[in-house]
Amino acid sequence: MAPTRTVKNKHAASKSGGAAGGKKFPSDGISKTKGRSGSKANLPAKQVRGRPNLPGLDKSKKKKKPVYTDKELGIPELNMITPVGVTKPKGKKKGKVFVDDKESMTTILALVQAEKEGQIESKLMRARQMEEIREARRVEADKKEAERKAKLEDTKDSLRRKRKRTKDGSTGKDQDEENIKAVAATGTKAAKAKKKRVSFAPE
Amino acid sequence: MRPLTDEEMKTVLDKLANYVSDLKSLIAPLEDGDRYVFRLNHSRVYYVKLSLANLATSISRDALLSLGTCLGKMTKTGKFRLHITALPIIAPGARHKIWVKDNGAQPFLYGSNVVKAHVGRWSEDCPEHSGCVVYSMADIPLGFGVTARSTTEARRLDPTGIVCFRQSDCGEYLRDEDTLFAG
Repeated sequence: MAPTRTVKNKHAASKSGGAAGGKKFPSDGISKTKGRSGSKANLPAKQVRGRPNLPGLDKSKKKKKPVYTDKELGIPELNMITPVGVTKPKGKKKGKVFVDDKESMTTILALVQAEKEGQIESKLMRARQMEEIREARRVEADKKEAERKAKLEDTKDSLRRKRKRTKDGSTGKDQDEENIKAVAATGTKAAKAKKKRVSFAPE
Repeated sequence: MRPLTDEEMKTVLDKLANYVSDLKSLIAPLEDGDRYVFRLNHSRVYYVKLSLANLATSISRDALLSLGTCLGKMTKTGKFRLHITALPIIAPGARHKIWVKDNGAQPFLYGSNVVKAHVGRWSEDCPEHSGCVVYSMADIPLGFGVTARSTTEARRLDPTGIVCFRQSDCGEYLRDEDTLFAG
């Protein structure tokens, strides 16, 4: 911003000073450009006028459009699929290098085999570890379940014992209450036991 | 027909190593001084005796339909896909094995996965997602696949659970007759 401003100011100064002393920029090309631009745009014409030998340079500059690559701009690359077989390494000699002699084949084979063995070994180790963890969890769950069951049994037993104790050590008043309860129970049961009967009337 | 490049060789051997425990036996020298080599023609990889491969150089690429044993084909993305024709090569040195009962042989040969109910035996210490060869109870190789569960996990599986994902089976000789060897 700053340099353009200074240029504008310069022209402004020249224009204002043009009235006073117009011989400051006496070049032919400038007058031509002025004529071409006419009275349409005063400011840009004056900008051109300010620089000597500019018309040719200006054209070339206008034509040149800066082309930036993605890398220069720092734009993240598109997530495109580049298959393994399609990518061609740069800076390498053209053509294929065949593997046909026994030595190179054995070398590749040994490499591949070692890699595969390592992978399988690590897979097995991981599987064993996971299995151990699962086993431990299962044992823990079983233990908790057994504990819960034992607790339940304990409470059941205690309740049974309590009931027995109350039956054995019950007082006369309690016994009466019990009897009443029993009678009520049997009474209700008797009432419940009464069933409706259907019989055909004798002819 | 040409030998494989470094990358191609790695890809092919990597795939074979999933199924075969000892790769060195594949390229071990034979008694008559000959040895097996890998050759590529029309994106198909062949496992062939060197003497035969040398003879085949007299036939033009277009005219050569097949030679030796076809192992599989290189895909356009540079991966390698094993065909059922590779079974005679991978079966003798199989890393992991699954034997299917007689009632499971037919479903497998028709292209379905192996379920637990059909398994007669399986090799111990087999991790999941590793290559295995499927045999009938009479020890006849039927095809190959990838294990769905490890052996220990598979024991707890219900009878309808999948134990092995099918990769290739002998039924392909009929089903893929048109595309198996050419095209």
